[in-house]
Amino acid sequence: MVSTSGVSALDGAREELLREASIEAEASGREKAQEESAPARSLLLFFLGAEGFAVDLAHVRKVLRPSRIARVSGAAPEVLGLMNCQGEVLCVLDLRRVLSPRKETDPLPATEGKFIVVILHAGKEAGFLVDTVRDAMELPASSVHPVLESVDPSRARFFEGTVAFGGHFVGLLSPSACLNP
Amino acid sequence: MTTGAIDLLVVDDGVALRGYDCLDVVRVEEVAGETGGYRVRLGRLGPPREVACRGVLGSVALSAREIRPVPEALRERIAGEKPWAVGLTGREIYLLY
Repeated sequence: MVSTSGVSALDGAREELLREASIEAEASGREKAQEESAPARSLLLFFLGAEGFAVDLAHVRKVLRPSRIARVSGAAPEVLGLMNCQGEVLCVLDLRRVLSPRKETDPLPATEGKFIVVILHAGKEAGFLVDTVRDAMELPASSVHPVLESVDPSRARFFEGTVAFGGHFVGLLSPSACLNP
Repeated sequence: MTTGAIDLLVVDDGVALRGYDCLDVVRVEEVAGETGGYRVRLGRLGPPREVACRGVLGSVALSAREIRPVPEALRERIAGEKPWAVGLTGREIYLLY
């Protein structure tokens, strides 16, 4: 037989537990509400080989299939050349070489079947050659995390953060860093 | 110069097509020897200079609307002599020096 005082103690503990749970649920709800009301970021996801990258759609002017690219003598290794983009001159850069400038002696990449992501930031524009363009996605701003510590420091300056997508981390590119040599 | 068009001497520098104002061209000489190619002497309009090239392709007239500024992203990534403009026709892209 349970004493009256025992029941009271149990009830008290349960009530305390329920109160705590209620407080936590409320806090969690607030966090969720904050997350939902936080400004969303629209990102374009693309790949270089198996490595995924994202860039804020606000800086993406268009995505093109490469046409004939005229090479430029004396230009930096990452410059693939100039392309006639609907009557505008577009400077096309190899994103792989932008991110890994040490590979200067590599032959110029084939452009067939690839994509050019045209990025405009602070009045400066360039097209970046990428292998595949996957998706546009909208994520809460809180989904953008700091650049992973495992990223090579020489490369880290090209990223403004990391985004989790499909169980993988993809680097969120900084348009400014990619456009400015 | 102010007629809204420019006649360019088009040369192949081995990588790209370069255009030089025909009015600035003093002479074009064939270079003898193994290297071959051509030497273009310039300086009627500006300071005298010489340009070596692999081939001389002829001349082309570009209207003002076929001349575009050099994209900044490219200008910043060219070492040495920089083109002053880009010629853009339906067929070709020329770098104007």
